[in-house]
Amino acid sequence: MEKATVVIIGGGATGLGILRDLSMRGVKALLIEKKDLINGASSRYHGLLHSGGRYAVKDKEAARECIIENQILCKIGKGCVEPCGGMFTRLDIDDPAYEELWIKGCADSGIEATPITLDEAFKLEPRLSRKHVKSAYLVPDAAIDGFRMAWQLIDSSRRYGGRFKTYTEVIGFDTVNGELRGVKVRNQFTGETYEIGCDIVVNAAGGWAGFIGKLAGVEIGVQPDKGTLIAFNQRIVNHVVNRLHKSSDGDIFVPHGSITILGTSSMSIPDPEDTSTSRAEVENLLKIGEQTFENLRDFRILRAFAGSRPLYIPPGGASGRGASRGFAIIDHERDGLKGFFTIVGGKFTTFRLMAEKICDQICAKLNVTEKCRTAEEPIVPEVSQADKERARKFFPSYGTELAATRLGVERFKRVVERLESDVESRELICECENVTRAEVEEICKEDTIFNIDDVRRRTRIGMGTCQGNFCSFRATAVFADMGGNSMAKDSLVRLREFLQGRWKGIRPVLLGRTLRESEMTRSIYELSMNVTGGEPQ
Amino acid sequence: MKISDVIIIGGGLAGLMAAAVAANRGQNVTLLTYGSGSLPLASGAIDFLNAKAPAVAIKNLPDNHPYKKIGMKNIDAAAKFFCEVTAQDNLPYNGKLSAQIPIVTAVGTLKYSCLVPESMDASNLINKKKIYVAGVKGLKDFYASMLVDNLKKYFPAKNFEVATLDLELLGGRDITCMGAARLLTGNEQILADGLKTLNATADDAIILPPILSLEDSNVKSQLRADVIETTCLPPSPPGIRLQRAFTKYLQRAGVKVFGNSKVIRGVVEDKKITGVVVKSVAREKIFYGKKIILATGGFYSGGLIMHEFDKPAEPIFNLPVFCRAGAENWSNEKLFDDKPQGFSMTGILTDENLNPVDASGKIIYENLHVVGANLGGVDFIHERSAGGVAISSAYKAAII
Repeated sequence: MEKATVVIIGGGATGLGILRDLSMRGVKALLIEKKDLINGASSRYHGLLHSGGRYAVKDKEAARECIIENQILCKIGKGCVEPCGGMFTRLDIDDPAYEELWIKGCADSGIEATPITLDEAFKLEPRLSRKHVKSAYLVPDAAIDGFRMAWQLIDSSRRYGGRFKTYTEVIGFDTVNGELRGVKVRNQFTGETYEIGCDIVVNAAGGWAGFIGKLAGVEIGVQPDKGTLIAFNQRIVNHVVNRLHKSSDGDIFVPHGSITILGTSSMSIPDPEDTSTSRAEVENLLKIGEQTFENLRDFRILRAFAGSRPLYIPPGGASGRGASRGFAIIDHERDGLKGFFTIVGGKFTTFRLMAEKICDQICAKLNVTEKCRTAEEPIVPEVSQADKERARKFFPSYGTELAATRLGVERFKRVVERLESDVESRELICECENVTRAEVEEICKEDTIFNIDDVRRRTRIGMGTCQGNFCSFRATAVFADMGGNSMAKDSLVRLREFLQGRWKGIRPVLLGRTLRESEMTRSIYELSMNVTGGEPQ
Repeated sequence: MKISDVIIIGGGLAGLMAAAVAANRGQNVTLLTYGSGSLPLASGAIDFLNAKAPAVAIKNLPDNHPYKKIGMKNIDAAAKFFCEVTAQDNLPYNGKLSAQIPIVTAVGTLKYSCLVPESMDASNLINKKKIYVAGVKGLKDFYASMLVDNLKKYFPAKNFEVATLDLELLGGRDITCMGAARLLTGNEQILADGLKTLNATADDAIILPPILSLEDSNVKSQLRADVIETTCLPPSPPGIRLQRAFTKYLQRAGVKVFGNSKVIRGVVEDKKITGVVVKSVAREKIFYGKKIILATGGFYSGGLIMHEFDKPAEPIFNLPVFCRAGAENWSNEKLFDDKPQGFSMTGILTDENLNPVDASGKIIYENLHVVGANLGGVDFIHERSAGGVAISSAYKAAII
C-alpha cells in the first residue's frame, strides 16, 4: 500500500503551503487534489495581495496578519508579486465617518496609509472619477499571481521530498477505533480506486471542506461563498484601487500585467463546484465599478469568472460579508476522530501563516521538533541573470520575467537551451502572452498534464486577448505530439473541451468587441476546422 | 457632382461580389472599403448549407430565410457568376449546389462545401493508395502528425506517410501559412522540387498546408500525384486568393475602389439614401449614388455593434436590428451546439428585394439593399451558409 505520514487534501494555496512547510520540516507528505492544482478559489480570485486595509475596520486581527504576510510574501515570492501599491478612494456617496474609523484601524493594525491630495490621486490614476472621488490614501497593497505562486510552492515542496497527485478524488477514510489509518481515493480518469496509508489527514479542501468532513463523519461549518469577477483586456489602473467604504461588491480593481480584474461579489451557494457567472452579476459589478471609473464600459472585457471562498461559520456565526475572513484549525480528535485535521477560512494573502500554524500542531503530534522555515527561505531560487540575458534574445523582456518565474531554474534553463539550438522551438504558440513552443513542449512532457487547461494554468496560453482563438489549435497539436498519456492523442476532444472552457467565461460578457472574437472563434473552429467532425445533414 | 449607379459599402465577399455583378451589367460602380474584409478569415470554400444536397434543402427553408427572398434562380446564377470570376484569374472552383465536396481541415477532419477551390478538393482522396502529408520545416500552424491521426479515422485502410520539406526560404521564426504562401508566390519551384522528392505516383495524393502561390500556381501540373491543400488558421491564403481574384476583376471592369474609406452616415432624402459620407483624416467626403448596397458584415466586421446588452446597432444608417434579447436567448451553454447561437442571428431584416424593414415590415429606405452577414434572423455559421448567402444576396441586390 502506498504510504505517507501526512495526506493533505486540496491543491489550493493552503494545501500547497502545508505541503511545502511539512516537507521542509522533513515530514513525508502527500497532497491529493481531485482536479488540477490551483483550480479553486486560489486562482479564481482577484489576485490581490492585501495590505490589510480592507479589514482594518471590521477585523483588526485579520488586518494585522495581512500586513505581516504581505511583507513576507513580497520577500519569499517576489517573482510572483507585482509591487504596484494600492490606493483607497472614498467617493461622494461613501460615509465620511467610515474614513475616520479606517484611518484609526490602519494605524492600530500597523498598516501605513498615506493620505494624498486629489491632484496626486488623479495623476497616479488618471481614469478615476473626478466627479465622485473625494479622498485618497496609498497603502502597500500589491498584485500576486496565484498560478505562478502555486508552481513555485510545488517546486519547492518537491525539492524537499513532497509529493502530489492531481485528478485524484477522496472517496472515504479508513479508521480503526476512532483512529485514522488511511485515505481511500479514486483516479478521476481511470476510475481505479486504492488506499493511501497515513497517520494524519489534513482537510484543506477550501469550499469542499464540508464534504470531506462528511466523508469522515464530522461536521464542519464551512459555507461556500461565491465571488464573481471580471477581467478587462487593458490595464485600467496602475495601483490596486479599493473603495474606502464598508466592504461590498465590485469595489476592488487589481492590475495584473496587461489586464485588470474587477471584483468581487459575495453570494452563499450550496455547491462549491458552482463557478457559473451571469450577465446580471456582470452588470452589477460594472454598475458599481463605474462609480469609481466612469468610462469603465469603454474597455473590452475578456471574461467573467467565479470562485468559492471557504468561509468558516462557527456555531451561531454570521455568513456572507459578515463572516470572518480569519481562519480556523480544527483537530477532530474532539469529535472522536484521531489524526484528522481541518483548516478552513482565511484568504490567499495569509496561506503561509495558516500552513505554519497547522503544521506546528501536526508536528507536535508527530513529535517533530523542526521549526517552520517558510517565512525566511525564498520559495524557489531565482533564475540567474545570465540565463535571463540568454532568454531575452528570444522573448520580449516582459515575457522573460514571467516565463522565468513560472518555469523555475531548471525548466527555464532547458527551455532557453531549446530556444538557442532549435529555431522552430521559437515559434510563439500564444502571441497574446508570449509563450514559445519550447515552453509549451516542456510543460506538455510533464506527467501531471492531462488536458489543455492544465497547459494553460502552467503557461498562460489562452488567457490573453484572443482567449484561445489561435493558441488552442497549436497547443492541442503540441500536446498530442509530446503528451505522455492517451488523453493527449484524443486531440479533437481536448481542443473542444478547452474552447468550451474559454466559452464559459465569455458568455456572460458577450458584447462589444468580445462579440467579434467569438464570431472569429466560431468561424475558425466550426467553419474552417470543423472540429465537431460533423457531416452534412 | 458625380453620381454612381451603385455604391457598395464593404470589401468582404458580399461587397466584392455585388460590385463584380453590377459592373458586369455595365453599371457605374463605386466600392468603399475599410479594413481587410472577412475573407482572410475564411476557408476559401463557399459553403451553401449544411445539407447533403443544398439545392434541394434550400427549397424547404422557411419563407423568411434570406435564401427564400433571394430565390433559387438567383442563387444558381450567383454560383455560376462566382465561378466565372475566379476562373478568369486562374483560380478554378469545383462543385455544384446539389452536392458537397470534402476538404481536409488543418486538424484532420473533413469539412464539406459546395464550391471549393480546385487546390482543396479532396474528393479523390478515397481512390488514392497512399497519402503523403507534407509539412514544411519552420512553418507554424501545420501539425502533420495530429492531422494524420484524425484523418485516419476517415480512411483507416489507407497508407499515410508524414514528410517534412526543408525549403530553406522559411528559415526565420513564426512563419504562418500566409507568410509562406507570400514567400512562395513567384518563387514556387522550390516547393515543386521539394514535393517531387517524395516520388509520389498518380495513385497517391499529397496533402499540404495552403502555401501554394497566391496567383497562378503551377505546382500541381508538375506532379503526377494529386496535390491537396488543407484549411488553416487565419490569415488564410485561399481566402486571400479569392479576394485578389475579385479585386482584379473589379479593376478590369472599371469599378472605382476606395480603400480606407470608413462610411459614417448616409445622406437621406425622404425615403432614399442619396449619398454616403466617408470620414478621412482631414475632412468628410460625400459619395453620391442611385442605389446603395450595405455589405459591412456582422459583429466580426463591425457592420453590427453592441455596447450594451440587448441594444445592437447598425452604425451607418442606424437601421433597426433584429436581436434575440435576454441572456438565455443570446448564447447557448455549449459553444459547439446543435442549435443556432442567438447572438449570431443578430442583423437586419429585409423584404424580398433585400430592402431593410422595420418591425412592422415597412421599408425604411427604398434604394438601400442589405447583403451578406449584415442580414438577420439566421445563424449563418451554424447553418453553414455564410458564403452562399453572401454571394447570392449580393447577386440579387446588384441586379435589382
